[in-house]
Amino acid sequence: MAKAKAVADTSLCKGCRLCVGACPVKAIEPLTEINKKGYEIIRINEEKCIGCGCCYRICPDYVFTINTLE
Amino acid sequence: MAVKLTKPKMINQQVGWCGGCGHGIIQRLVAECCEELGLAERTVQVVDIACAYWSIDTLNCDGIAGPHGRCAAVATGIKKVRPEANVYVHAGDGCSYVIGLSETCYAAQRNVPITMIVVNNGIFGMTGGQMCLATTLVGDKTVSSKKGRDDRVAGEPFDMLNIIQNYPIAYAARGALYDAKHIEETKKMIMKGFKNQQENKGFSIIEVLSPCPTNWKMSAVDAMEKLKEENSKVFPVKVYVDNTKGGK
Repeated sequence: MAKAKAVADTSLCKGCRLCVGACPVKAIEPLTEINKKGYEIIRINEEKCIGCGCCYRICPDYVFTINTLE
Repeated sequence: MAVKLTKPKMINQQVGWCGGCGHGIIQRLVAECCEELGLAERTVQVVDIACAYWSIDTLNCDGIAGPHGRCAAVATGIKKVRPEANVYVHAGDGCSYVIGLSETCYAAQRNVPITMIVVNNGIFGMTGGQMCLATTLVGDKTVSSKKGRDDRVAGEPFDMLNIIQNYPIAYAARGALYDAKHIEETKKMIMKGFKNQQENKGFSIIEVLSPCPTNWKMSAVDAMEKLKEENSKVFPVKVYVDNTKGGK
Protein backbone atom coordinates (compact mmCIF):
# COMPACT_ATOMS: atom_id res chain seq x y z
CA MET A 1 0.00 0.00 0.00
CA ALA A 2 1.39 3.33 -1.04
CA LYS A 3 2.16 5.76 1.75
CA ALA A 4 1.64 8.87 -0.36
CA LYS A 5 -0.35 10.05 -3.36
CA ALA A 6 0.07 12.80 -5.89
CA VAL A 7 -2.59 15.46 -6.48
CA ALA A 8 -2.60 17.61 -9.61
CA ASP A 9 -3.79 21.20 -10.00
CA THR A 10 -4.35 21.01 -13.74
CA SER A 11 -5.24 24.70 -14.04
CA LEU A 12 -1.46 25.34 -13.92
CA CYS A 13 -0.64 22.70 -16.53
CA LYS A 14 1.01 23.72 -19.81
CA GLY A 15 0.60 20.38 -21.55
CA CYS A 16 4.28 19.45 -21.89
CA ARG A 17 3.71 15.76 -20.97
CA LEU A 18 7.04 15.43 -19.16
CA CYS A 19 5.28 13.89 -16.16
CA VAL A 20 3.77 11.13 -18.32
CA GLY A 21 7.23 9.83 -19.24
CA ALA A 22 8.75 10.47 -15.80
CA CYS A 23 6.22 8.36 -13.88
CA PRO A 24 7.81 4.98 -13.09
CA VAL A 25 4.43 3.17 -12.77
CA LYS A 26 2.65 4.86 -15.73
CA ALA A 27 0.00 6.32 -13.43
CA ILE A 28 -0.32 9.60 -15.33
CA GLU A 29 -2.59 9.58 -18.36
CA PRO A 30 -2.50 12.27 -21.04
CA LEU A 31 -5.96 13.62 -21.90
CA THR A 32 -7.30 15.58 -24.86
CA GLU A 33 -9.37 17.67 -22.45
CA ILE A 34 -8.12 21.27 -22.15
CA ASN A 35 -7.85 23.67 -19.23
CA LYS A 36 -8.80 27.36 -19.10
CA LYS A 37 -5.61 28.42 -20.84
CA GLY A 38 -6.12 25.95 -23.68
CA TYR A 39 -3.47 23.37 -22.82
CA GLU A 40 -4.17 19.64 -22.92
CA ILE A 41 -4.08 18.34 -19.36
CA ILE A 42 -3.33 15.06 -17.59
CA ARG A 43 -5.04 12.84 -15.02
CA ILE A 44 -3.49 10.79 -12.20
CA ASN A 45 -4.67 7.22 -11.85
CA GLU A 46 -5.09 7.12 -8.05
CA GLU A 47 -4.89 3.33 -7.86
CA LYS A 48 -1.54 3.09 -9.63
CA CYS A 49 0.14 6.11 -7.96
CA ILE A 50 2.88 5.23 -5.44
CA GLY A 51 3.62 8.82 -4.35
CA CYS A 52 7.31 8.70 -5.34
CA GLY A 53 7.47 12.39 -6.32
CA CYS A 54 9.02 11.97 -9.78
CA CYS A 55 6.20 14.03 -11.35
CA TYR A 56 6.70 16.77 -8.75
CA ARG A 57 10.42 16.90 -9.56
CA ILE A 58 10.11 16.98 -13.35
CA CYS A 59 7.14 19.39 -13.59
CA PRO A 60 8.29 22.91 -14.61
CA ASP A 61 4.95 24.46 -13.63
CA TYR A 62 4.41 23.16 -10.08
CA VAL A 63 1.22 21.24 -10.90
CA PHE A 64 1.79 18.40 -8.45
CA THR A 65 1.56 18.12 -4.68
CA ILE A 66 2.48 14.91 -2.86
CA ASN A 67 0.34 14.15 0.20
CA THR A 68 1.06 11.46 2.77
CA LEU A 69 -1.84 9.16 3.65
CA GLU A 70 -1.89 9.26 7.45
CA MET B 1 -3.21 13.69 5.52
CA ALA B 2 -0.05 15.77 5.47
CA VAL B 3 1.71 17.52 2.62
CA LYS B 4 5.01 15.90 1.77
CA LEU B 5 6.11 17.86 -1.30
CA THR B 6 4.55 21.03 -2.62
CA LYS B 7 5.43 24.25 -4.43
CA PRO B 8 7.88 26.34 -2.35
CA LYS B 9 6.36 29.38 -0.63
CA MET B 10 8.89 31.70 -2.27
CA ILE B 11 7.20 31.13 -5.63
CA ASN B 12 4.18 33.41 -5.47
CA GLN B 13 2.67 33.27 -8.93
CA GLN B 14 2.67 31.24 -12.08
CA VAL B 15 5.70 31.40 -14.31
CA GLY B 16 5.54 32.72 -17.85
CA TRP B 17 7.90 30.23 -19.48
CA CYS B 18 6.85 27.96 -22.34
CA GLY B 19 5.54 24.48 -21.54
CA GLY B 20 8.39 22.05 -20.88
CA CYS B 21 11.03 24.74 -20.28
CA GLY B 22 13.77 23.85 -17.81
CA HIS B 23 13.88 27.31 -16.22
CA GLY B 24 10.81 26.48 -14.12
CA ILE B 25 12.51 23.44 -12.60
CA ILE B 26 15.68 25.44 -11.84
CA GLN B 27 13.64 28.16 -10.18
CA ARG B 28 11.95 25.58 -7.97
CA LEU B 29 15.34 24.11 -7.00
CA VAL B 30 16.64 27.57 -6.08
CA ALA B 31 13.52 28.33 -4.01
CA GLU B 32 13.73 24.99 -2.21
CA CYS B 33 17.42 25.45 -1.43
CA CYS B 34 16.85 28.99 -0.07
CA GLU B 35 13.98 27.80 2.14
CA GLU B 36 15.82 24.75 3.43
CA LEU B 37 18.88 26.83 4.34
CA GLY B 38 16.70 29.58 5.87
CA LEU B 39 18.01 32.20 3.45
CA ALA B 40 14.71 33.27 1.89
CA GLU B 41 14.69 36.66 3.64
CA ARG B 42 18.30 37.49 2.75
CA THR B 43 18.34 36.36 -0.87
CA VAL B 44 19.04 38.81 -3.69
CA GLN B 45 18.67 37.44 -7.19
CA VAL B 46 20.39 38.93 -10.20
CA VAL B 47 18.68 38.02 -13.46
CA ASP B 48 19.57 38.59 -17.05
CA ILE B 49 17.53 40.31 -19.78
CA ALA B 50 16.43 37.05 -21.38
CA CYS B 51 14.21 34.11 -20.44
CA ALA B 52 15.67 34.19 -16.92
CA TYR B 53 13.99 37.58 -16.43
CA TRP B 54 10.63 35.93 -15.61
CA SER B 55 12.13 34.81 -12.35
CA ILE B 56 12.16 38.36 -10.97
CA ASP B 57 8.34 38.55 -11.14
CA THR B 58 7.79 35.13 -9.70
CA LEU B 59 10.20 34.68 -6.80
CA ASN B 60 9.26 36.49 -3.62
CA CYS B 61 12.71 37.90 -2.84
CA ASP B 62 14.75 40.96 -3.74
CA GLY B 63 15.99 41.02 -7.29
CA ILE B 64 17.69 43.16 -9.87
CA ALA B 65 18.00 42.82 -13.62
CA GLY B 66 21.41 44.02 -14.67
CA PRO B 67 22.39 45.17 -18.17
CA HIS B 68 22.38 42.28 -20.60
CA GLY B 69 25.30 39.96 -19.93
CA ARG B 70 26.62 41.86 -16.92
CA CYS B 71 25.00 39.73 -14.22
CA ALA B 72 28.23 38.59 -12.61
CA ALA B 73 29.46 42.20 -12.36
CA VAL B 74 26.18 43.39 -10.81
CA ALA B 75 26.21 40.48 -8.35
CA THR B 76 29.82 41.29 -7.42
CA GLY B 77 28.75 44.84 -6.58
CA ILE B 78 25.83 43.68 -4.45
CA LYS B 79 28.01 41.22 -2.57
CA LYS B 80 30.59 43.93 -1.83
CA VAL B 81 28.04 46.27 -0.22
CA ARG B 82 25.81 43.59 1.35
CA PRO B 83 28.18 40.82 2.45
CA GLU B 84 25.46 39.15 4.56
CA ALA B 85 23.08 38.75 1.60
CA ASN B 86 22.73 35.50 -0.32
CA VAL B 87 23.43 36.73 -3.87
CA TYR B 88 22.85 34.44 -6.78
CA VAL B 89 22.84 34.90 -10.53
CA HIS B 90 20.21 33.22 -12.69
CA ALA B 91 21.36 33.66 -16.28
CA GLY B 92 21.48 31.86 -19.57
CA ASP B 93 24.39 30.64 -21.64
CA GLY B 94 24.28 33.69 -23.89
CA CYS B 95 24.64 36.04 -20.94
CA SER B 96 27.35 34.11 -19.15
CA TYR B 97 29.44 32.65 -21.95
CA VAL B 98 29.00 34.96 -24.94
CA ILE B 99 28.18 38.60 -24.24
CA GLY B 100 29.16 38.43 -20.58
CA LEU B 101 32.17 36.16 -20.84
CA SER B 102 34.57 38.70 -19.39
CA GLU B 103 32.27 39.42 -16.43
CA THR B 104 32.00 35.71 -15.66
CA CYS B 105 35.76 35.19 -15.97
CA TYR B 106 36.67 38.18 -13.81
CA ALA B 107 34.14 37.29 -11.12
CA ALA B 108 35.83 33.88 -11.06
CA GLN B 109 39.30 35.44 -11.08
CA ARG B 110 38.44 37.67 -8.11
CA ASN B 111 36.83 34.64 -6.42
CA VAL B 112 33.83 36.71 -5.30
CA PRO B 113 31.65 34.59 -2.98
CA ILE B 114 28.52 34.52 -5.18
CA THR B 115 26.58 31.62 -6.65
CA MET B 116 26.20 31.64 -10.40
CA ILE B 117 23.55 29.44 -12.01
CA VAL B 118 23.99 29.18 -15.78
CA VAL B 119 21.14 27.67 -17.78
CA ASN B 120 22.72 25.93 -20.77
CA ASN B 121 19.97 25.31 -23.33
CA GLY B 122 22.22 25.51 -26.38
CA ILE B 123 20.38 28.37 -28.06
CA PHE B 124 19.50 32.05 -27.69
CA GLY B 125 15.94 31.53 -26.45
CA MET B 126 14.39 34.93 -25.87
CA THR B 127 15.65 36.52 -29.08
CA GLY B 128 14.03 33.83 -31.20
CA GLY B 129 16.38 30.87 -31.39
CA GLN B 130 19.72 31.96 -32.86
CA MET B 131 22.88 29.88 -32.69
CA CYS B 132 24.93 30.30 -29.53
CA LEU B 133 28.61 29.97 -30.42
CA ALA B 134 29.50 28.53 -27.04
CA THR B 135 26.83 25.88 -26.64
CA THR B 136 24.91 25.02 -29.86
CA LEU B 137 25.93 21.53 -30.96
CA VAL B 138 27.41 20.86 -34.41
CA GLY B 139 24.55 20.03 -36.79
CA ASP B 140 21.78 21.70 -34.78
CA LYS B 141 19.40 23.74 -36.90
CA THR B 142 18.68 27.23 -35.59
CA VAL B 143 17.31 30.46 -37.05
CA SER B 144 20.85 31.63 -37.88
CA SER B 145 22.17 28.23 -39.01
CA LYS B 146 19.42 26.97 -41.28
CA LYS B 147 21.31 23.92 -42.52
CA GLY B 148 22.68 23.01 -39.11
CA ARG B 149 25.77 24.38 -37.38
CA ASP B 150 28.79 23.88 -39.62
CA ASP B 151 31.99 23.49 -37.62
CA ARG B 152 34.12 24.75 -40.55
CA VAL B 153 32.31 28.08 -40.44
CA ALA B 154 31.13 28.49 -36.86
CA GLY B 155 33.61 26.30 -35.01
CA GLU B 156 32.72 23.74 -32.40
CA PRO B 157 30.95 24.30 -29.07
CA PHE B 158 33.31 24.55 -26.13
CA ASP B 159 33.05 23.53 -22.54
CA MET B 160 33.38 26.77 -20.55
CA LEU B 161 33.61 24.99 -17.21
CA ASN B 162 36.86 23.44 -18.45
CA ILE B 163 38.27 26.95 -18.67
CA ILE B 164 36.68 28.36 -15.51
CA GLN B 165 37.88 25.45 -13.37
CA ASN B 166 41.46 26.73 -13.79
CA TYR B 167 40.62 29.95 -11.93
CA PRO B 168 41.05 29.94 -8.14
CA ILE B 169 37.32 29.30 -7.50
CA ALA B 170 35.52 27.25 -4.88
CA TYR B 171 33.18 25.09 -6.92
CA ALA B 172 32.28 24.34 -10.54
CA ALA B 173 29.80 21.66 -11.54
CA ARG B 174 27.34 20.78 -14.24
CA GLY B 175 23.89 19.33 -13.60
CA ALA B 176 21.12 18.22 -15.94
CA LEU B 177 17.34 18.12 -15.89
CA TYR B 178 16.44 15.11 -18.00
CA ASP B 179 15.22 12.84 -15.20
CA ALA B 180 14.23 13.01 -11.54
CA LYS B 181 17.56 11.58 -10.36
CA HIS B 182 19.63 14.21 -12.15
CA ILE B 183 17.28 16.95 -10.95
CA GLU B 184 17.97 15.89 -7.35
CA GLU B 185 21.71 15.89 -8.05
CA THR B 186 21.44 19.38 -9.52
CA LYS B 187 19.64 20.49 -6.38
CA LYS B 188 22.54 19.24 -4.27
CA MET B 189 24.95 21.22 -6.46
CA ILE B 190 22.91 24.41 -6.04
CA MET B 191 22.70 23.75 -2.29
CA LYS B 192 26.48 23.38 -2.20
CA GLY B 193 26.83 26.67 -4.08
CA PHE B 194 24.70 28.50 -1.50
CA LYS B 195 26.54 26.89 1.42
CA ASN B 196 29.91 27.93 -0.03
CA GLN B 197 28.63 31.46 -0.20
CA GLN B 198 27.43 31.45 3.42
CA GLU B 199 30.77 30.05 4.57
CA ASN B 200 32.58 32.67 2.46
CA LYS B 201 34.53 30.06 0.55
CA GLY B 202 34.47 31.73 -2.85
CA PHE B 203 32.92 31.71 -6.30
CA SER B 204 30.60 28.83 -7.17
CA ILE B 205 29.33 28.19 -10.68
CA ILE B 206 26.67 25.60 -11.46
CA GLU B 207 25.78 25.04 -15.09
CA VAL B 208 22.50 23.24 -15.76
CA LEU B 209 21.71 21.48 -19.03
CA SER B 210 18.16 22.49 -19.81
CA PRO B 211 15.76 21.91 -22.72
CA CYS B 212 14.23 24.63 -24.91
CA PRO B 213 11.42 22.81 -26.76
CA THR B 214 10.07 25.96 -28.42
CA ASN B 215 13.29 26.97 -30.14
CA TRP B 216 14.57 23.45 -30.73
CA LYS B 217 11.21 23.00 -32.51
CA MET B 218 10.37 19.67 -30.90
CA SER B 219 8.03 18.39 -28.21
CA ALA B 220 9.08 18.69 -24.56
CA VAL B 221 9.56 14.93 -24.29
CA ASP B 222 11.77 14.81 -27.43
CA ALA B 223 13.74 17.80 -26.15
CA MET B 224 14.52 15.95 -22.90
CA GLU B 225 15.59 12.94 -24.97
CA LYS B 226 17.92 15.11 -27.08
CA LEU B 227 19.36 16.60 -23.90
CA LYS B 228 20.13 13.15 -22.58
CA GLU B 229 21.43 11.58 -25.79
CA GLU B 230 23.28 14.47 -27.44
CA ASN B 231 23.93 17.51 -25.22
CA SER B 232 25.11 15.57 -22.19
CA LYS B 233 27.68 13.75 -24.37
CA VAL B 234 29.32 17.05 -25.38
CA PHE B 235 28.82 18.70 -22.00
CA PRO B 236 29.49 15.98 -19.39
CA VAL B 237 27.43 16.10 -16.20
CA LYS B 238 29.92 16.10 -13.31
CA VAL B 239 31.65 18.12 -10.62
CA TYR B 240 34.63 19.85 -12.27
CA VAL B 241 36.36 21.31 -9.28
CA ASP B 242 35.62 21.42 -5.57
CA ASN B 243 38.27 23.38 -3.68
CA THR B 244 36.24 23.51 -0.49
CA LYS B 245 37.47 20.11 0.67
CA GLY B 246 40.68 19.78 2.62
CA GLY B 247 40.72 23.39 3.77
CA LYS B 248 42.12 24.85 0.56
